[in-house]
Amino acid sequence: MKLGITFDRLRWEEKALKEAAESAGLETSLIDVKGLNFEVAKKRSEFGDVVLQRCISHYRSLLLSQTLEGSGLRVINSHSVAEVCSNKLATSIALSKAGVPTPRTFLALSSDAVEGAAEELGYPLVLKPFVGSWGRMVTIVKDRATLQALVEYKEELANPIEHMYYLQEYIQRPPRDIRAIMAGDRLVTCVHRHAPPGEWRTNVARGGTSEAFKPDAELKEIVHRASEAVGGGVLGVDAMESSSGYVVHEVNNTVEFRGAQSAVDVDIPKRIIEYVAHTVKR
Amino acid sequence: MNTSCNECGAQIAVPNDVIVGEIVSCKDCSSEYEVAEINNGTVLLKPSEQVGEDWGE
Repeated sequence: MKLGITFDRLRWEEKALKEAAESAGLETSLIDVKGLNFEVAKKRSEFGDVVLQRCISHYRSLLLSQTLEGSGLRVINSHSVAEVCSNKLATSIALSKAGVPTPRTFLALSSDAVEGAAEELGYPLVLKPFVGSWGRMVTIVKDRATLQALVEYKEELANPIEHMYYLQEYIQRPPRDIRAIMAGDRLVTCVHRHAPPGEWRTNVARGGTSEAFKPDAELKEIVHRASEAVGGGVLGVDAMESSSGYVVHEVNNTVEFRGAQSAVDVDIPKRIIEYVAHTVKR
Repeated sequence: MNTSCNECGAQIAVPNDVIVGEIVSCKDCSSEYEVAEINNGTVLLKPSEQVGEDWGE
């Protein structure tokens, strides 16, 4: 089997995946896709039999997986999974429909509709962009005045998507959250992510640190169900500890695992490659 | 392998096992470069893409 690992920014993760794939005996190419163009529906041999999609740009990732699948190639994660995970609203819908505990979430289709949603949720609440990662623009809104100010700022932005709003219940949690790395139906590892000093967001890209811990049965079950809810694959499931149990707030399609790997003994890239190889054989 | 920073002229030490596509940065001015080519022990850099609003996981 030939594996293509696509990237637009070569990180530690992609190099580790290539090394793991080669150790597993897979012929592997790292393919920088930035300079490429594609004729629609025409299969290209340099991508191999299966593609592990690792672009850092969401839009590039979505368009590439769509194009590669459209040419008949197997892509991990599939385009449909990428679509659900890269849109926070789609993720919330998928989790809710599957009965996975997730924070209460509202869509407001204009600035006029925001305050009604906020009243339903109560303050503080969390305002998030529909597309975005690393905690970018994710804001705790502590009161009505802050919400009004944020809405005023967003209404001045040119992009129409900024004039619609994704509002979420604020979960009272310890100053940490949970990152579970899934490869198919296998939970590869779980870590706590601690927020850095002066920050409430726990993203490793924002200086968050990872710490190994042993997940209990409830958490294992919830992260498995969250993974299934979005369509499965190689995923980073983010969960929080609320007073009424675990809640899943996000599922990441191009999971970064350098932070988690620094905290755990399990060989994460090896487990991901085992899943890729197993999936293709099926 | 050594090369110099286009921005500030400082020397950038590039590891010998670097591969095309990897990101290196200048320790003096923090400019980031992508390895564009490696030829007989000479490394050619190009400016790396800037962090996009859609970057992430």
